[in-house]
Amino acid sequence: MALTIITLIKQVPVPSEMRMGEDGLMDRTKAKSIINIDCTFGLEAGLQLKKQNPDAKLIVCSMGPGSFETALRTAISMGYDEAYLLSDRKLGGSDTYATGLAISTMLKHLGFTKDSKEPYIILAGRQTSDGDTAHVPSQVAEAIGIPQATFVESVKADGSGNVIAKRIIEGGYQMMKLPMPCVISLTPTGIPPRKPSLSGAIKARNLKITTFGIDDIGLGTEKIGISGSPTIVAKVVNMVSERPPITMSEGHNEASLVDSLIANLKKGGNVMEKKEAIAKKDSERPDFPEKDFRNGARGIITWAEITNGNVSRPSLELLTPARRLANQLGNDTKVMTLIIGKNVQPLARILIEHGSDEVILVDDEKLEEYLVLPFSSIFEQVIKVRKPEIALFAATTSGRELAPRIGMKTDSGVTADCTGLEIGEYINKKEKVIYTHILESRRPTYGESKLATILGFVCPQVSTARAGTFEVPERVEGKQGIVSTFNPVLKDQDFVVEILKTVRGGGGLQNLFEADIIISGGRGTTNDNLGLIKALAEALKSQGVNAEWACSRPVVDEGVAEYARQVGQTGKTIRPKVYVAVGISGAIQHVAGMKEAEKVIAIDHNPKANIFHNADFGICGEYQDILPELIERVKAGFTFGIEPKKTF
Amino acid sequence: MNNDTVSTDVLIIGGGPAGLATAIHLADTLKQKGQGQRILLIEKGSSIGSHIISGAVIKPEVFKELLPEVDISEIPFNAKVIKDNTVLLSENGHLALPFHIPYMNNIGNYTASLGQICKYLAVKAQEKGVEIYTGFAVDEILYKDGKVTGAKTKDTGLDHHGHQLENFQAGTSIEAKITVFAEGTRGSLAKMLIKKFNLSKDRNEQIYSLGCKELWSVPQGNIEAGQIYHTMGYPLNNDEFGGGFIYGLNDNKVAVGLVVGLDYKDPSFDVHDAMQVWKTTSLVSRILKGGKLLEYGAKTLPEGGYYAVPKLYVDHALIVGDSAGLVTMPALKGTHLAIKSGMLAAQTAANALINNDCSEKSLQQYEVLMKASFIHNEMHVVRNTRQGFAKGLIIGGLHFGTQLISGGAGFFGRLRTHADHETTSKVSELKKKPFRERFKGKLEFDKVLTFDKATDIYHSGVYHDEQQVVHLHIHDQEKFNAINIEEYGAPEQFFCSSEVYELHTNKDGKKELRIHAENCMHCKTCDIKTPGERITWVVPNGGNGPDFQNM
Repeated sequence: MALTIITLIKQVPVPSEMRMGEDGLMDRTKAKSIINIDCTFGLEAGLQLKKQNPDAKLIVCSMGPGSFETALRTAISMGYDEAYLLSDRKLGGSDTYATGLAISTMLKHLGFTKDSKEPYIILAGRQTSDGDTAHVPSQVAEAIGIPQATFVESVKADGSGNVIAKRIIEGGYQMMKLPMPCVISLTPTGIPPRKPSLSGAIKARNLKITTFGIDDIGLGTEKIGISGSPTIVAKVVNMVSERPPITMSEGHNEASLVDSLIANLKKGGNVMEKKEAIAKKDSERPDFPEKDFRNGARGIITWAEITNGNVSRPSLELLTPARRLANQLGNDTKVMTLIIGKNVQPLARILIEHGSDEVILVDDEKLEEYLVLPFSSIFEQVIKVRKPEIALFAATTSGRELAPRIGMKTDSGVTADCTGLEIGEYINKKEKVIYTHILESRRPTYGESKLATILGFVCPQVSTARAGTFEVPERVEGKQGIVSTFNPVLKDQDFVVEILKTVRGGGGLQNLFEADIIISGGRGTTNDNLGLIKALAEALKSQGVNAEWACSRPVVDEGVAEYARQVGQTGKTIRPKVYVAVGISGAIQHVAGMKEAEKVIAIDHNPKANIFHNADFGICGEYQDILPELIERVKAGFTFGIEPKKTF
Repeated sequence: MNNDTVSTDVLIIGGGPAGLATAIHLADTLKQKGQGQRILLIEKGSSIGSHIISGAVIKPEVFKELLPEVDISEIPFNAKVIKDNTVLLSENGHLALPFHIPYMNNIGNYTASLGQICKYLAVKAQEKGVEIYTGFAVDEILYKDGKVTGAKTKDTGLDHHGHQLENFQAGTSIEAKITVFAEGTRGSLAKMLIKKFNLSKDRNEQIYSLGCKELWSVPQGNIEAGQIYHTMGYPLNNDEFGGGFIYGLNDNKVAVGLVVGLDYKDPSFDVHDAMQVWKTTSLVSRILKGGKLLEYGAKTLPEGGYYAVPKLYVDHALIVGDSAGLVTMPALKGTHLAIKSGMLAAQTAANALINNDCSEKSLQQYEVLMKASFIHNEMHVVRNTRQGFAKGLIIGGLHFGTQLISGGAGFFGRLRTHADHETTSKVSELKKKPFRERFKGKLEFDKVLTFDKATDIYHSGVYHDEQQVVHLHIHDQEKFNAINIEEYGAPEQFFCSSEVYELHTNKDGKKELRIHAENCMHCKTCDIKTPGERITWVVPNGGNGPDFQNM
C-alpha cells in the first residue's frame, strides 16, 4: 500500500507585476509567471513526506491554461514523479466553487475518492496571491468528502495511516491527527521550497504531462466557467493610497539620523495631495423589471466563534455589518447568530447585547473544540431549516475554512476576506432584469491595490469579513432577544479528526489592539531575539506610554515570537497611533495588518524595502545602530509625540 | 539520491554568445558528419540573457558564419549604425574629433541588446538539439587523475554557515568528455582552471575595465536610432583609461554608459558615480532630457588583449569568449570574437569526439585554428594598445601612434601590465585629489538625470536567496581590516557597481565592512580590484543575480 502524495499548485503572475483586464478578470498575458508562493510550500511538504516514506509517489496537479506546464515541470525538477493538468477553455472565469469542483472531479477521475483503498494525501497552498481566498483546498475536501486541515505549517505521516498536522490558529497552534485520505493546506511559514536539481530539470524536460479537458474527466459545464459559477466579479476599482510620500531621515551616523527623525516628526511630515473627487457617472438605471432572486430566503446568520471560552472579538465585530445589512434590507430583517460548543448558553446574552436578534445554540460536549467537519455539517442543517439569505463569518483561520466548506454544501460559493459589505442591485443587461436586495461583498485584491465587488446569486450569500476591519458594536446592557436551541444530527464520521493539543499564547492579544505605539520587528531583527525591539517598547512603557511590541511573520516562523504578536494579513490588523517597523521588508501581507496606523515609522537597512512606500517617516540604517540611539532618546523623554499617561 | 550524476558528451558552462556559439556550431558540425552527441549547456541566470550586458555595437559578419542558413535580418539586432561620432569631453563642453580613432569606425555595424541576441541564439541552439538548462550554478570542476571530467552544480538549501537545511538539495555531477568554460568575464571556474594548470604562465596579467550602463527611454528627437557617440576625456583624468558611449536605439531608447580601466590609482574612485557625473555634461544630459531610466547594469570586461590570453585548452577542457580574455582594444569589442572562439572550440571538440581523443594534444587544434583566424589578426595588431595606456593617456597615445606605424609592436616588443588589484594607491600615497573632492557638489544625485546606486540597482531586477552562504568571501579578516580598511580606506565601498559593500563606522569610531550580497550585479569587480586579492567572488545559488531584460 504505497502512499500517494498529490500536491495542487497554481501558476500566478509575479505579485508586483499583476494586471487586470477590463472585465475584472486576471490578464495573464503580460506578467511573468511563477508558482504561487504558498503552493511551493505545499510542494516542499510533499517532498518532506517523501523523505519519511521513500516509497511514496509524488503527483503534482494544476488547473489552468497550457502555459501552466511550466509550473508543473518545475515541480518535477524539484523531485515530483508525475504531473497532470486540467485545461479547458470552458473553465475560464471559474470562481473558487467551480475551481474546487473541477479539481476534485479530476482527482476522482484519477481514482482518488472518498473510498480509495490506497492511502493518499492531498497537499495545497493556503491561498494564492492572485485570489487570496484560501477556498479551494476546503472545497476540494468537501467535494471529495474527506477531512481537511488548513493553515498548516508542518505535516508528518505517523506510520499508521494518519497525518499529524500543525495548524496555525489565532494566538497559537493546534496539533491534529487526521486519517487518510485528507486534504492539507500549507501556510508559507513551514519549510521553504527547495531549489530544482539539474538532474530533476533533465527529467522534467523529457516528461510527458497528462492534460485533461473537461470531457475527459466527465465534468459537465453547468457548474463551471463564468456562466456556471455561483459568484461573479461585478466591479473592480483602484484603491487610492491613503499615505503621503515618506520623509526620510538624513544624517551620517545614528545620532544624526535619529535627530533628523525627531525633527521630521515635529514638522509633521508630508501631507496627502488632495485628489479631486471624480464625479460618478453612474449610467442611468435601465427600465428593466426587478427580480428578487432570493427564493424566499430571509435573514442574516452569523457564526460566533469561541476562543478561550469567550466569543471571539472578530465574531463580535461581525455584528456591525450584519446589523447594517439588516437595516438596508429593511422589512424587519433579523440577525441570527449560531453558536456551537459546550455550555455556551451564557454567551447568548453577550451576543444579543451586541446586536443579535436571535441566538441559536447548539450545545454538545463533543463540540467543545472547533472542528470543521461537524461544524460545517451543523451549519448546513441550520441553513436548511432557517433559509437565511446571507451568512457571515469572521475571516479567521477557522472562518476561512468553514465558510468555503459550507459554500460547497449549499452550492452558493463564498467571497473571502471582505472589508466592505453593502446591499445593492445588479443590472443584468443580457437578461434585461435587475437583481435587487443583493449582497455586494467588497474585498481588496491584487496585492491590496484594487477593490473588487463580488456578487453571489445563490442563497445564502456567504462572505467572510476581515478581522479588525469593523468596530465591535456598542453593547446595550439588558437588550432582549430570542435564544433558541437546535439539535443537529451528528454523525460519527464527522469526528474522525482528533485534536491532540491546542496551544494559545498568553499576553499580547488584546494589548496590541489598544497600544498607542507598537514597535514591530521583522526578519532583520532576529539576531538578538528581538532584544532591542523589546527594549525600546519597555523604555517607552517606563515613560508611561502605552507601548507594545509585535513582529512580522518571518519572526514567528523562526520561533522567536509567538503567533499572537504577528501583525499582518494572517495575523492581526491593528490601528495604533504610531507604528514603528524595524527590519521589516514590507510584504503586502504585512502592510495589510498595519496600514490603519496613524503614523508609520520605518527603519531598515535596505533602501529598496517596500516598507518605505508604506511609511510616513523612514531611517535607512542598521537596526543595531539606530535602536540603541532611539532607546537613549526615549529614556531622555522622547515619546514619538505620544502623551505619556503618568500612572505612577 | 544525493549522488545524482548525469552524463553528456559536451558540457558548456555559460549561456552567453561564446557558449551558445559553441553549442550551435558543435551541433551543426556533428550533424554534418552524421553524428548525434549530447550537448548540455548550463546557465546561472534565471533565463538566457538575464546576466548578459554589453554596449553593444556588434560586427555582424560572424553571424553569417555561425548561422549560414539564417537571413541576417532575422537576427534581433537593434538599429544599424548610421552616424558614428567620437567626442572629447571637458567639464564645460565638448569637441567632436574630426577623425575616428583607428579600429573604432562602426558604420555598418549594429547596435543591439546582447541579451536579446543570446535569447535568439538559445532558441536556435535548442532547435538544433542542444539541451539548455537555466538557473543552475556550477561551482566545482570535477577531476579524475588530474584531468577534467566535468563539473558539479551547487548544493542548495544551506544556511549562512553552510549547514544543510531541511530543504537541502544536493548538486548534480555532470560527467562530460569535453567541458567548455564559457562563463564570461572573470569566470570563477575558469579562474580555478587557469590557476590549477598554470595556464597564464609567461602571459601578461589579465586586466579589466568596469562598465556601468543605463538604458533610457527618451522623447522623440533626442537622438536618432543608429546614431552613436564615443566620448573621451571628462570626467576621467589622463591616468584613467576609458570613455563613455551613447547608442541611439529604435523606439526612442538609448543606451548610455561609462567604461573605466580598473588599473586606476585612486582608492575612492567610483565608476558608477563617475558615470552619473558624465551624464551631467551637456552632450549627454541633452540626449537624456525628459527621458526615463529603464534599466541599469554593470559588468567588467577583460582588456589585457593578446598577451594576456591564457593557454585555452587542457585535457578534456576548453576556454572560450570573455573567460579567455578575447576582447580587442581599443574598439572594446568581444562579441564577434566570443562567437568565433566558440565556433573554433566547437570544430575542435567535434573532431576530438569523432576521433574519440579528447586529450590536450587533440584539443591543441583550437589554438592552431585560432592563430589562423581573424581573432588572432584583430588582437595581434593592437596587442600593445592597452598596456601603453596604463602609463597614462599621453604616453599611451604616443605608444598607440608608434604602434600604428610599426604594425602593433611599438618601440618595445611586448609591454607588461600589473594586475588591477596591485595598482590602487593607499590613501596616504594618493598624489591627486581623491574622487569625492574632485567632483564635490556633483555627487548629489537628483533622481531625474542622475541616480544613486540604490536607485540604479532597483532597475536591474537583482535578487538573491536569503538562505545561502554569502557568495563574497573575505580572506583574512584581520589583514583586511588592517590594510584594506585602514590603509586603503575600503575601496570596495566605492568600486562596487551595486552597493554590496558598506563601510560602517559606529559611534566609537570602529569600522567594519558590511556585505549586502543581495545587491550583487555579478560584475566581478571585487574579485579583480580588491587590494591583496582579499575578496573572492564565488557563484551564488542558480537563478540569483540581476534580471536584465534588454541590456
